[in-house]
Amino acid sequence: MSTEERIERLRRLRDEHANAGSQRAIDKQHEAGKMTARERVEALLDKGSFVELDMFVRHRARGFSIEDNRPPGDAVITGWGTVDGRTVFVFAEDFTVFGGSLGEVVSEKICKLMDLAMNNGAPLIGLKDSGGARIQEGVFSLDAYGKIFQRNVTASGVIPQISVIMGPCAGGAVYSPAMTDFVYQVEGTSHLFITGPDVIKAVTGEDVTFDTLGGAQPHSQTSGVTHFVSTDGRQAMEEVRYLLSFLPQNNMEAPPFFTPSDLPDRMEEGLTTVVPDSPNQPYDMVDLVEMVVDDGEFYEVHQHFARNLIVGFARLDGYTVGIVGNNPSVLAGTLDIDAAVKGARFVRFCDAFNIPLVTFVDVPGFLPGVDQEHGGIIRHGAKLLYAFCEATVPRVTVITRKAYGGAYVVMNSRSVGADIAFAWPTAEIAVMGAQGAVNIIHRREISEASDQEARRAELIREYEEAFSNPYVAAERGLIDEVIEPRETRHRLVQALEMLRNKRVSQPPKKHGNIPL
Amino acid sequence: MRSVLIANRGEIAVRVIRGVKEMGMRAIAVYSELDRDAIHVQLADEAWNIGPAPAQESYLDVDGIIRSAVEAKVDAIHPGYGFLAENATFARRVIEAGIVWVGPPPEAITAMGDKISSRLVAQKAGVAGVPGTMEPLATVDEVRAVAAGFGYPIAVKAAHGGGGKGLRVVTEEAGLEAGFEAARREADAYFKNPEVYVEKYLEFPRHIEAQIIVDAHGNGLFLGERDCSLQRRHQKLIEETPSPVMTDKQRKALGKAALAVAKSAGYVNAGTVEFLLDRSGDFYFLEMNTRLQVEHTVTEMVTGIDLVQEQLRVAMGEELSVSDVDSRGHAIEFRINAEDPAKNFMPSPGRIVDYREPGGFGVRVDSGYGSGSTVSQYYDNLVAKLVVWGRDRAEAITRARRALAEYTITGIATTIPFHLLALDNESFRAGTHHTRTVEEEMDLDDLQQPSAPILPGDEELAERQMTVEVGGRRFVVRLWAPEVAAPAAAGRRQTPRRRPPKLTQAPPVIDGEGAVTAPMQGTIVKVHHKAGDRVEIGDPLFILEAMKMENEIKAPASGEIVDLRVQAGDRVAGGAVLAIVR
Repeated sequence: MSTEERIERLRRLRDEHANAGSQRAIDKQHEAGKMTARERVEALLDKGSFVELDMFVRHRARGFSIEDNRPPGDAVITGWGTVDGRTVFVFAEDFTVFGGSLGEVVSEKICKLMDLAMNNGAPLIGLKDSGGARIQEGVFSLDAYGKIFQRNVTASGVIPQISVIMGPCAGGAVYSPAMTDFVYQVEGTSHLFITGPDVIKAVTGEDVTFDTLGGAQPHSQTSGVTHFVSTDGRQAMEEVRYLLSFLPQNNMEAPPFFTPSDLPDRMEEGLTTVVPDSPNQPYDMVDLVEMVVDDGEFYEVHQHFARNLIVGFARLDGYTVGIVGNNPSVLAGTLDIDAAVKGARFVRFCDAFNIPLVTFVDVPGFLPGVDQEHGGIIRHGAKLLYAFCEATVPRVTVITRKAYGGAYVVMNSRSVGADIAFAWPTAEIAVMGAQGAVNIIHRREISEASDQEARRAELIREYEEAFSNPYVAAERGLIDEVIEPRETRHRLVQALEMLRNKRVSQPPKKHGNIPL
Repeated sequence: MRSVLIANRGEIAVRVIRGVKEMGMRAIAVYSELDRDAIHVQLADEAWNIGPAPAQESYLDVDGIIRSAVEAKVDAIHPGYGFLAENATFARRVIEAGIVWVGPPPEAITAMGDKISSRLVAQKAGVAGVPGTMEPLATVDEVRAVAAGFGYPIAVKAAHGGGGKGLRVVTEEAGLEAGFEAARREADAYFKNPEVYVEKYLEFPRHIEAQIIVDAHGNGLFLGERDCSLQRRHQKLIEETPSPVMTDKQRKALGKAALAVAKSAGYVNAGTVEFLLDRSGDFYFLEMNTRLQVEHTVTEMVTGIDLVQEQLRVAMGEELSVSDVDSRGHAIEFRINAEDPAKNFMPSPGRIVDYREPGGFGVRVDSGYGSGSTVSQYYDNLVAKLVVWGRDRAEAITRARRALAEYTITGIATTIPFHLLALDNESFRAGTHHTRTVEEEMDLDDLQQPSAPILPGDEELAERQMTVEVGGRRFVVRLWAPEVAAPAAAGRRQTPRRRPPKLTQAPPVIDGEGAVTAPMQGTIVKVHHKAGDRVEIGDPLFILEAMKMENEIKAPASGEIVDLRVQAGDRVAGGAVLAIVR
């Protein structure tokens, strides 16, 4: 065979291998409203940047006549490419080959990719569309999962890991995405669960569909497994590209800087009126955040889950920041179990990847209730507290209104390590609200008064005047400065600029023992 | 008169600057912060920053513009078209500031600015409008009575409207009430005045307008008509002169009527009287535009008269430089808008990557943009006007096809593909098109836009301050220069990625029971609806006070409130069912 013929053969093989699945399987994938694995990779990466690995790999399993069908590349496409010019590693499970099932060589391909991503410090993105373990390969396919899990954990906190669930993801397979930093789900075509509707029906008698059990809706609103919901595959790829624009390549790098198109000292008059005059009126913290950050762009993480606490990414003067804020318009902005867990995970992600934290506080306290207490709010609330206490990235807090009791301390107060704490003149930093405080402190005086209600009202007014303001805390230096709402953006930019080279580290240890 | 300030931007500012310069005067431009590098700013002898991007704070800021004009010591202000061109208050303020106003007297602007009062002026001059009412109508019954007089279809129009906003066509009596209400609503929304009037709706009408100019010495000149019948939803796209359907006799009568209207209004300077021409050859007065029109260029091409220069002469009190008009050939203007004709002419603002104008004999381009310019959503979408001249209509069409094919604009969608298609439309070629030809005869869905090469990140400019010394005096100046960023790896993005639009809202709630539950323990302080009410998803249903905070509880789905279980004052537990919406 001449060299030219050999090159010709390579070209032919590459062409043949580009889509290993049968045309019928590809058509079925399209009919289901899904893109093929290769289409997804191309939609995710910069045009023409994809470099494929292991296109010639074939499985070596035997039995159940699987040895008669050995498609090239098997059921996953792996490789690297760029997003906005920055390297990322990507694997896409190919549902058109063996239903995307995971066996020995699929795992080998993914593990090779994960090792490359780790050693070279670039994000890893998994596009999931798989029927689960390859049953024909038996216990080998379980070993295959385990090897991936092990690498997910090793890579955690070293490179950003993103999972996009675009088809089924069931049983043990869910634990790889569960251990990555962010999970996207495509509405309508994706589901995640440990045990499926059939098993549930057989065991507990409950009747559920794939969608109500493991679709985008329950996981983004109730379980909190999913961080982002996209309407279709292409939209999901666009959103992943957007998310990556906030993240560093790895934990040794600063997040990307973009020349800002918003003025650092923009005075935002809208902030002057965002907090209503009446303390009983809620407002949407998202609106407030959008007024402060660059170009009003705030990418909310977990937008539909535990909405009483908002978290997400934005930029201030071109630099990425992680935003955490209480939202008074949901559950009065109280902290509950879900909110604490949501906040804790986000804070730890930001801390791991050098993303400064900006916290907006308007919290009346923890959500009262037997459910919450018996559900372990002590244990779960401690996670948020632990996460803030542990974080060494620049941390700035803005108290917009209520900051009461233990919840005030938890919400990135100066006492637990915030570098700079600002308060608006509307801030009320106190152990509790005026009414509760007066009822305790002045119980005797009220009971002895001739007109109890009048005396109570008078004492409440006195208490409000004395304590429902930021100045008592500022007197002690717990608040660094009381600022006008309109200058919040400028103050934050200045503070973060000052903190740019912050260097604080935790004492060496194997790892802390966060109350899980 | 030695200097003229042009209170406008884009292609018309460029057009006026050229006229001013040819008269040997200095052209002073104004610009918003967004237009810092615009072509009109580069061409002017001097340019003044008048404020931020929103037109309200710059090109529509009467005080700001007059302040700049006084500071720049200009002798005259030319308003172009749009923005403040037909604002009588602005004209008056200019005159009060001792500056020459290049336009008609403010009284004439006022008289002709309102559709109803302008029709009264025309009527006084013996020129009839489309049959209809002269007064605004307040009730449906009045409209019904009037409509009975000249039959359906009728048009219900906003008294202070324009551009197709606040206009409803009613084809039969049954749809009268809905059409009337809709027109009033739109009129109120767009023009802050719900007054509407009613007129006969002409089928297959042609939009014909007469260009006139009158000097202060009483000399009036009719410079021929323009046919603007190729429109889309009352927005002109192609204009030409002469009209392919008018006879010389009609033309003469049209000119006479136009000048009579101008005289009746006490009009001085250039203006356009618009008419509708119906199939029988009758024309009806529509309105008068008291300014230079976008499409004045076609008149210039066939008459050889520079309308801007004539305007300046009239403003200076001189007599017109011509007393007779000798038109030659045929001219057609194509509006090159930043709009995507295949997507219902959706605006396509953005950065123009590559811009190359056509040239050659009989081709004129008036443009306000070039390669690298950004068409902003803050202003209108007119990028440029392509005007071609030919000895006759057929020659002009052939030349237009050549010029449009030469025209390259990439990076934004434009109307160029639409124009090429229009040139193939049989009605247009035959000259029998009317104002609804585009909607009725042209299929725009498959029009393709040329693709643009993808550029690595735009070069962003950053503001810097610098001290300079000029003639021994120190000044602090603002500089706009490329940001010197750390060199990035090849192909890396320099500007922040923008958030992709969400295609839909939050995933719908699947819960089939339709239960509305209390998110936490508290007291119901307000119940917005009664049982049996129909509510839409997201409508507020209750206010629950908990933790001393009012929580709005919204409808989780659209439907009827089949069961309402609480009233104001009730204390409820977290998770309690408050209502069922199905």
